[in-house]
Amino acid sequence: MAGEGEEGKTKSFKLLGILDIQNIPCARGAVLHGSAASILVGLGHFLATSRVKRSFDFGVGGFMLTTLGSWFYCRYNNAKLRMQQKMIKDGLKNKVMYEGTSLDPTRK
Amino acid sequence: MAHPSQLGFQDAASPVMEELLHFHDHTLMIVFLISTLVLYIIVAMVSTKLTNKYVLDSQEIEIVWTVLPAVILILIALPSLRILYLMDEINDPHLTIKAMGHQWYWSYEYTDYENLGFDSYMIPTQDLTPGQFRLLETDHRMVVPMESPIRVLVSAEDVLHAWAVPALGIKMDAVPGRLNQTAFITSRPGVYYGQCSEICGANHSFMPIVVEAVPLEHFENWSSLMLEES
Repeated sequence: MAGEGEEGKTKSFKLLGILDIQNIPCARGAVLHGSAASILVGLGHFLATSRVKRSFDFGVGGFMLTTLGSWFYCRYNNAKLRMQQKMIKDGLKNKVMYEGTSLDPTRK
Repeated sequence: MAHPSQLGFQDAASPVMEELLHFHDHTLMIVFLISTLVLYIIVAMVSTKLTNKYVLDSQEIEIVWTVLPAVILILIALPSLRILYLMDEINDPHLTIKAMGHQWYWSYEYTDYENLGFDSYMIPTQDLTPGQFRLLETDHRMVVPMESPIRVLVSAEDVLHAWAVPALGIKMDAVPGRLNQTAFITSRPGVYYGQCSEICGANHSFMPIVVEAVPLEHFENWSSLMLEES
C-alpha cells in the first residue's frame, strides 16, 4: 500500500539536488535545450574569438536564456492543454447529465 | 499519500493543489537557474587572475542587479497572487462540515440536513490491522462526496490546533472561539491523510485527519449508517 504511489512515477533525478527533471513536466526538455544552446553558443563564441573565459560566460548566459525560454513555452502550452482537457471533461459530464433537456450543451 | 523519505509534494487531489504544484515547479525552475548562475559566478571569481584595486562604481552592473531581481520577483508574484485569489473564490458549497479540534482528536459535524456528529481518534499502533498506516489511521473518517464543493469550518474546543490535508492543499488554523472557513473539491475518489499542524500538547503528533472521498450514493449510505449508529 505505501509503495503503490511510487510505481507510476519514474525514479527521480534531481539537478543540484532540487530540480527533479524526470517528474516535473517540461523540466527535462528545458534543461536539454538549454544545454544544447549553451554548448553551441559557447563553442561558437570560442571559435570566433578564441577567448576561453568569455566563451564560458556566453555559454552560461545562453543556457539560462534558452532554458527559461523553452520552459515558459512548454509550460504555457501545457497549461493551455490542461485547460482544454478540463473544459472537455466538464462538457462530457454536462452532456451526460443534461442530454435531452433544455440544458443540453450540444443543443443549438 | 506520503511515502517513506519523500521530499516533494503528494499527488494533487484537488484543483487548487494542482495549481500549487504547477506554481511550485515554476518557482523551482527560477531558483534552479539563480543557483546555477551563483555557482558559476563563484567559480569564475575564485579562478580569475584579474585584480583591479581601483574600481569605484559601475552604473551598468548596478542597473542589471537591480532590475533583474525585480523582474524575477514579478515573475514569481503574479502566479502566486493568482492562486491566492483563486483559493478565495466563492464556490457555492454543496456541503458544510465543522471540524473541531480537541486534545487530542478531531470531531466532525454534518449539520446541513440531520444532526450527524462523531469523533475521530487515531488508531493506536498496537490495534492496527496489516496494511494500515501507523500514526495516520483513525477510527472514523471524514467522508465527503467526490467532485462536490465542500466547505469546512474549522475551530477548536481547547487550545490551538490546525486542520491540514496536504493532498488537497489545505491547512487551516483551529482557534478556540473563532470559525475559520476553507473549501475544497476532490478531483477523484480516494483516502487522503493529514496531521494536526499546530503544537497542542503531548499528543499533538497523534491526532491525524483522514478524508475519504466517495461517490455520492456511497456518501448517502454512509451518512444513513452513521445516523443509525449515533
